[in-house]
Amino acid sequence: MKSLAVARNVLRRIAHDPRTLALIVILPLFFVLLYGNSFSGSYKNLTIVIVNEDNGLASVRTAEVGRVTLDVDLAQAFVDALDPEMFDVRESGNPDMVEAEVGRSGVWAALVFPKSFSNAVVNEAVRASGERRVEIDGNTVTLLPSDPVDGPKTILVLDDGNPLIAGAVRGAFDAAFAQVLASQQSSLTVEGLLEVRALHEGKIRMLDFTAPGIIGFAMTLITVMLTAMSVVRERTSGTLTRILIAPISAWQVTTGYTLAFSVIGVLQAAELFLASILLFGIRFVGNPGVVALIIVLFTVGLQGIATLISTIAKNEAQAMQFVLFLLIPSIMVSGVFWPLETMPATIRPLSYVSPLTYANAGLRKVMLAGGGFGEIRFELAVLGAFAVVMLLLSVLSMRRQAYTA
Amino acid sequence: MSTETVVRATGLRKSFGKRTALDGLDLSVEQGRLYGLAGPNGAGKTTLIRTLCGILRPDEGEAHLLGWRMPSSRVRSQLGYMPQDFAVYDDLSVLQNLEFFGGLYELRRAQVRERAGELLELVQLADRKHQRVGTLSGGMRRRVSLAISLLHKPRLAFLDEPTAGVDPKLRRALWDDFNRLAEQDVTLIVTTHLVEEALRCHVVGFLNAGRLLTQGTPDEILAETGTANLDDAFIVLQERGEGRS
Repeated sequence: MKSLAVARNVLRRIAHDPRTLALIVILPLFFVLLYGNSFSGSYKNLTIVIVNEDNGLASVRTAEVGRVTLDVDLAQAFVDALDPEMFDVRESGNPDMVEAEVGRSGVWAALVFPKSFSNAVVNEAVRASGERRVEIDGNTVTLLPSDPVDGPKTILVLDDGNPLIAGAVRGAFDAAFAQVLASQQSSLTVEGLLEVRALHEGKIRMLDFTAPGIIGFAMTLITVMLTAMSVVRERTSGTLTRILIAPISAWQVTTGYTLAFSVIGVLQAAELFLASILLFGIRFVGNPGVVALIIVLFTVGLQGIATLISTIAKNEAQAMQFVLFLLIPSIMVSGVFWPLETMPATIRPLSYVSPLTYANAGLRKVMLAGGGFGEIRFELAVLGAFAVVMLLLSVLSMRRQAYTA
Repeated sequence: MSTETVVRATGLRKSFGKRTALDGLDLSVEQGRLYGLAGPNGAGKTTLIRTLCGILRPDEGEAHLLGWRMPSSRVRSQLGYMPQDFAVYDDLSVLQNLEFFGGLYELRRAQVRERAGELLELVQLADRKHQRVGTLSGGMRRRVSLAISLLHKPRLAFLDEPTAGVDPKLRRALWDDFNRLAEQDVTLIVTTHLVEEALRCHVVGFLNAGRLLTQGTPDEILAETGTANLDDAFIVLQERGEGRS
């Protein structure tokens, strides 16, 4: 019975705290909605480049009239077979540039169709099936097998830095090629047609791919929770009021906090990276200095989030709930497990405002692809702006705390 | 004794929701006075102190400390504030607490050590200076808090219930020391819910329901109310106030 009394007392206290009550009810629903919406399972608007050097013609020997030229344009048929929602197809005339283009500016893959693509597919199909009768201009002619066509293969340059997207792109291409080959009753295989050049030579595992985001998320949780709890404890114990009555500005208090917790954040990050590399062999090919800069900017910004949470939270329990409410979703929307390209438009704004999106993208570029300052200048700019804005907001919130303590 | 007015508040009004904590309160305190702010729990003593210090913004009225309208950063280095809750770091030692707050007032380490020695003697914690505050009793933690608020030799100190939970002998010693500080021209505003304690003050203000019932020397208040002690005087004034309202 005493256990029941304790349980009743706990529930009564929760019922008296509307904020906690609201979080208890809303939080699970919020997570389910977010999870269900954030991973749609379909990819949209993936940019690919097509270099179509195929002349679209197939020259085939016939029994009746010597050689005929068939206008089949199979490279275009391949492009037409791609899902237009999934791919944003850009045409390029320069095959030498595609390798440099893939992996940059959001280009996930490039295909270079050789001049003889259609010719090779059709002749290979005729050769495999033996004689074939077709109608040309109202006349029936018999296509005859010829010697194997030994032309250059179609080149697929693939950014395999994101194993999920690379897999999806490869799957869609294979399906489109299979459709083209089937239309010609060809016995060719996709492997026989393609020469695949993967940017990272297939060395990036799913573990490597998700590690930067997981490390960023761990940092987010630990840093924000630690800072928010500390500030709330300072306020509820009265020491914050005492500090703010002393001749010290809110700016100095905030930067003091930021400095202390940034040092802790950077040390934690170092521990996370070292443990990941030593225990699981996580890929880290970039400059540690660049990674450190990302971590510092990210951590400073997180301090701001923590200070803002501490302003809203009345006590440490509420601070914890706000941390969960605000930060757990970040791992779902920031491209850690599934790419932003799979997110529905309704969820994407959350991705764009989540700092983890940029920390994750920056860390990935450095850790997985060895990117330098030049490659991550956008992410650094966003994280820098995030740090400055959050620092200013936390100064304002610290001033406010002086009057709410 | 100087007659400079160091605390001047006019028409202070502060509400929390429907509850009025300060109800158009005027207050004036001269330099070097030991001012006792007495009243029952919920009278508005803490709200008044927090409003005067600039921690709370009044809904109406204004407060001036040392000639500056509050809140002002210009008076901070001359203000001492001891809140009603302990407001100390439980996970630090007594000396570490004093060193941290001394640093905020730009005291050098040697100065802090010297002042800490004096103040810990005063609050009878000299032998505990290396002990973690969290392991001290409630009364001892309050004394640490008092030492922190006097560390930087403020010109004006607000002490919110500094003697609560303190044993009678030490309480007497503290009041003696508050008087000694006042003789050195430090102005102290000390709240207490033990009305009789206010006898040790130069000037007493009786606060009830956010209003100042009266203000004067203890003798003046006893004469005004025709009572023999301040407890009775407070009850008489409270009843008069209720009769008027």
